Amino acid sequence: MADTLTIHIDGQALTAQPGESVLQVAKRNHIAIPTLCHDERLDAAGCCRACLVEIDGQRRLQPSCNWPVSQDLRVSTRSPRIERHRATLLGLYVADHRLDQDGLPVHTTQGNELRTWAETTDFKRLLAIDSPRHPRGVDANPYVAYDPDLCILCARCTRYCDEIEAVSAIQLAWRGAETSIATAGGRGLLDTTCELCGGCVDVCPTGAMHAKQAPRFEKPGAVQKVRSTCNFCGVGCQLDLNVQDGKIIQVTAPPPGETVNDGNLCVKGRFAYGFVHHEDRLRQPQIRGADGELHDATWDEALHYAAKGLLGVRDRHGPNALGFVSSSRCTNEENYLVQKLARAVFQTNNVHQCAAT
Amino acid sequence: MQSKSAQREGILQQLAEQGGATALAVAQVARQSGVPEADVWGAGTFYGLLRRDPKKTLVCNGLSCKLHGADALHHQLAGQGVATEFVACLGLCDVAPAAVGPELLPLPASDQPAHVLPSDPNLPIDLGGPRDRSYRGLGAALKLGPEAVLRELQASGLQGRGGAGFAAHIKWRSVRSQPSPTRYVVCNADEGEPGTFKDREVIRRQPDKLLEGLAIAAHVVESTQIYIYLRGEFERERRILQDAIDQALLGPLAGLEVHIVRGQGAYICGEETALLESLEGRRGMPRLKPPFPTERGFRNQPTLIHNVETLACVPDIVLRGGTRFASLGRREPGAKLYCISGHVARPGVYELPLGVTLDELVAHAGGYIGTPLAFSPGGASSGFLPMGERSRPLDFASLSQVGSMLGSAGAVVLNDSVDLPLAVHWQLSFFEHESCGQCAPCRLGSRWMRQALDRYLASGDPAELSDVRDVAWEMLEGSICGLGQVAALPLTSALQHFPHHFGHRPVTQELHHG
Ligand SMILES: Cc1cc2nc3c(=O)[nH]c(=O)nc-3n(C[C@H](O)[C@H](O)[C@H](O)COP(=O)(O)O)c2cc1C
Ligand code: SF4
Ligand code: SF4
Ligand code: SF4
Ligand code: FES
Repeated sequence: MADTLTIHIDGQALTAQPGESVLQVAKRNHIAIPTLCHDERLDAAGCCRACLVEIDGQRRLQPSCNWPVSQDLRVSTRSPRIERHRATLLGLYVADHRLDQDGLPVHTTQGNELRTWAETTDFKRLLAIDSPRHPRGVDANPYVAYDPDLCILCARCTRYCDEIEAVSAIQLAWRGAETSIATAGGRGLLDTTCELCGGCVDVCPTGAMHAKQAPRFEKPGAVQKVRSTCNFCGVGCQLDLNVQDGKIIQVTAPPPGETVNDGNLCVKGRFAYGFVHHEDRLRQPQIRGADGELHDATWDEALHYAAKGLLGVRDRHGPNALGFVSSSRCTNEENYLVQKLARAVFQTNNVHQCAAT
Repeated sequence: MQSKSAQREGILQQLAEQGGATALAVAQVARQSGVPEADVWGAGTFYGLLRRDPKKTLVCNGLSCKLHGADALHHQLAGQGVATEFVACLGLCDVAPAAVGPELLPLPASDQPAHVLPSDPNLPIDLGGPRDRSYRGLGAALKLGPEAVLRELQASGLQGRGGAGFAAHIKWRSVRSQPSPTRYVVCNADEGEPGTFKDREVIRRQPDKLLEGLAIAAHVVESTQIYIYLRGEFERERRILQDAIDQALLGPLAGLEVHIVRGQGAYICGEETALLESLEGRRGMPRLKPPFPTERGFRNQPTLIHNVETLACVPDIVLRGGTRFASLGRREPGAKLYCISGHVARPGVYELPLGVTLDELVAHAGGYIGTPLAFSPGGASSGFLPMGERSRPLDFASLSQVGSMLGSAGAVVLNDSVDLPLAVHWQLSFFEHESCGQCAPCRLGSRWMRQALDRYLASGDPAELSDVRDVAWEMLEGSICGLGQVAALPLTSALQHFPHHFGHRPVTQELHHG
């Protein structure tokens, strides 16, 4: 691009595009800057203060996530001042957090970015801050829960719900140390506009917003992520099956930017995985016998049986006595094959797709 | 996400009309406005006046009122069966201990006229003089034209009176030079800095000078839309101001739109970008700067924001010239409204040369009561100074040299009957309570700070304060806005100037957390 810029981070000349933030350029060049409230998909909030850097000509430390690049901008990401800032800020966060027996922020099944930061940085130990968030009532929804003790008020969840999901079911509420994540009137999510997409869970850096169905405090490494494709519809969202001892304990979205769904999932892809291990799940085809009961069959038997039935109807009543409806779980290619089957094999135009109403 | 047609700006006022941020009112306002219900709830619960019990009398627990028996008043009212609630500084420090009734009008005992200087036509605002409704400054400005007015403003050296002391003419020029044809002029009348009640007095006594200043500003920056964000507790002042507006719109202000928008009880909304958020019907959380309001302010358009006093100085600058205004000050230009309260005989608002000393100011206020121990020169945000600084000029530069600030010029004197650490506790509690909660250094730091001091008061062991310096440093360096940046100052300044008050001490029995 013609108007590429040069900026200097820690003395290193780097190429940047107009409109980028200092943080984006730093990340691309593997310059580590801690962040908590940042998410590429969301407008910068600049509220967690983890990413503050020194900008030449600015008296105050400035959030790199929100500082636009400009030609010859000079930035420093390491200095005694920045180290002291990070150490003390992290100390405050830790003093406000639930800790494990090692005095570190608790690990949760979905991770805890605060813990990760604390594991790698010397920080100022401070006496615990007694700082209860404004409490929230019972919430009967089956999927999403909020644990205020782990919340660092980065507002990723509320901004996600507003900016990405366009739902705005949750918001920052109250003020000061009491600030909390709330629904209108403190109601359960089922009584709000919430679509239970679970995106707020995925973006939460600490596991404060969490999935009710999943165990909360599994040890690091105990859970393995298996990339898969959601089979609820034809979109083909990628998802990560979080597997422990051969069982799915949670489904999460792959990180934004990696797959078509850009870190998003819907309620079905994220939460409706109970069928996978369910005892009632059909594991092979069945054919109803003369006795009225279903009996296990092979795929060949089942397909032949179905073909025979369909051909029988066609022969007795003509092709237009048949109709084909494909499932919304089918992909484009599968839908194509269904209409081909209807038209070419059975010679009827009675074909429809259940999502095409 | 809010639909395009949603009417967000009015929601706080609508909640106030429906008795506050109750679940019912929030649902109704969300329906009417089209704003998502959670957003209405999130905004409503932010504001003290929308969370209060509308039947209760509000008793001030600001520093000056604490010094003058706020607790006793609270007790007495409770004894009379009056339902009460403690609130942050009500801006009635001169009549301490102060309280306002459910209708937000001062109780009779807190309802006396303030002490001001006798009328002196040489003073730019002249609080003690007859109410000036002449709008002669506006007439002169229209004749002179914008560039000439700007020259006078620059010559006057007028620094913003809201706290930061930024040169006024630079902001005017910046707004004037913006490409967008839509500009706004906003008056910051959210006066909430503990110890400050000068803007209140300007509105009570010379409201037309404020309106005149606004009209001149609007003329120069080519705007026709004026918004006055008025502290919600100033109900009496709202009526006076609305009256003045209604009359002026028939004459000198014809062609302008002038709106009063009521604050809903959040000190942080005095910070200019939090104020803009609040004007737009949101939680009063300060914005990241840059961009500054002069470029992108109200409704994302160029906006000139000024304090009441700043604007009220403008007619005089236009009429009698910038140089004359400048000559009224000592080391910095102009005359200044100083508020003085606490342990002095005649608390009030005195219009004096910028740069008078505390002793001079207190002489106007009838002298000290008892033996003075410490003073805050410019509101809670300026920390505490020892009496050794009583001859220091009370101006922007001189006070910042000692790590304090002129701020809103709300001076409070504490005599030696005061338990200084306890006074610090009150100030820290104020900031903790008023933090918007957006950024961690302030939200967590201000709470940690108050709790560390309370541990010290509870145990008498100074070791409890050993980490104060680090946390205060982080609040200063890491906070988004001025609130968090100075919120530790009451403690750090007291530790610096009064170390002997923070030794081992007997256990403090009672902490009033009101
Ligand atoms: C925490 C905080 C509270 C403030 N409160 C007020 C206030 O009550 N009134 C005011 O005029 N300015 C207040 N300010 C200053 C405003 O942000 C802004 O600088 C001012 O309104 C600009 O007007 P001026 O240039 O006339 O001073 C406050 C600033 C901070 C950081
Ligand atoms: S589950 Fe989705 S819609 Fe519901 S609150 Fe979370 S982000 Fe919003
Ligand atoms: S719940 Fe999680 S995402 Fe939401 S504000 Fe708290 S820490 Fe951030
Ligand atoms: S410093 Fe305090 S008041 Fe200012 S933005 Fe941060 S939390 Fe809010
Ligand atoms: S990542 Fe920049 S302030 Fe949070």
